[in-house]
Amino acid sequence: MPSIKFTYFDGRGLGEVNRVMLAAGGIKYEDVRLHESKWAGMKPTTPMGELPLLEVDGKTICQSNSIARYIAREAGLAGKSSLDQAEVDMIMEGVRSLFDKAAQIFILPEAEKAARKKKLEEKEAPELLEYLNKLASNKGYFVGDQLTAADIALYVNYESVGSLTIALPSLDKYPNLKKVADNVKANPGIAKWLKERPVTTY
Amino acid sequence: MPDYKLTYFNGKGTAELVRLVFAAGGIVYEDVRLQQDQWPELKPKTPMGQVPILEVEGTMLCQSNSIARYVAKLAGLAGKTPLDQARVDMIMDGMEDLGKKGHGVYWEKDEEKKAEKKKDYEETFLPQFYTCMNKLVGDSGHFVGNELTLADITFFNMTTLVGNYMKLPNVDEFSGLKKVMDHVTSNPGIAKWLKERPETPF
Repeated sequence: MPSIKFTYFDGRGLGEVNRVMLAAGGIKYEDVRLHESKWAGMKPTTPMGELPLLEVDGKTICQSNSIARYIAREAGLAGKSSLDQAEVDMIMEGVRSLFDKAAQIFILPEAEKAARKKKLEEKEAPELLEYLNKLASNKGYFVGDQLTAADIALYVNYESVGSLTIALPSLDKYPNLKKVADNVKANPGIAKWLKERPVTTY
Repeated sequence: MPDYKLTYFNGKGTAELVRLVFAAGGIVYEDVRLQQDQWPELKPKTPMGQVPILEVEGTMLCQSNSIARYVAKLAGLAGKTPLDQARVDMIMDGMEDLGKKGHGVYWEKDEEKKAEKKKDYEETFLPQFYTCMNKLVGDSGHFVGNELTLADITFFNMTTLVGNYMKLPNVDEFSGLKKVMDHVTSNPGIAKWLKERPETPF
């Protein structure tokens, strides 16, 4: 296993799915948390002017979703066959769209925020969670019968959306998704990380 | 009966990338184009209430980029090593950002804001983005390795789509990107598809 350095701001945000997967895979890495003041100086040195970054084997990977897929493969969480991997992928993209919508709303001016927030909380999120609940098995796995990056993505994104002050429906309404969350939390590497990770504002 | 059935509306939109990859890989597939009035009946049967979907081996995949990555693996266009695949991925995600931002401008309702956003997108964002992406092209004229990958095809597709409603920088001024475009359009499968694909309003 080559040495891995993961760089993001000091928060969960777009970085946390990766940190949780690294924990699930028992992969040691350098968890670099950049202070905002250092970002301007670092930005032009990055491939696309953004964080997070993954440095491995002398190469730099950007784009949180791409980093997530790479780590998932390294951690054995990507799905076994190409088709399984595509299913894991599609779930990850679906749950990520929830986070992206919430993040867009978060930065809107107050006047526009209320209406968009209502639409997400009352229509878009419940609809998507309903679809996702059907895609998860009643054992609490999206693909196959083992933990994959899809399950982890659901747990982490659900948590992150909550921290963007969007009131999502409780997972108790979606029994399969509730089991997914329980399976994620019960993974030993993840349970340890959830207990020990720094407490941050987002 | 082909092993792969792609369903989308009668347009390029988010399905065209998949069609291009099938073409580059010389893989036969069923290219189903829905009428608008067929959609309400199909929607609840899809994994996440969206198209495109790909039906393969009795499973339905959704999320256009996940489908594209899957087909790219079938076609040998996904990148050779896990790290190469991550780099192909990150280029795709970068292009997704370009598309999303362009959409944001396109769908802006306030005419004054829209004009402002369009100016910023065309005069500031796009030149910076092209400069950044140009640096990521290798000497081979490909984004990753020495052969065509999904990364090159995504650059071609996304810029072509956005170019329908935005003024793009002149790719001749970016030697790396020009090579990428030439490689894509001269791929025999893609060249044939570009000549034969249906003319559609979007």
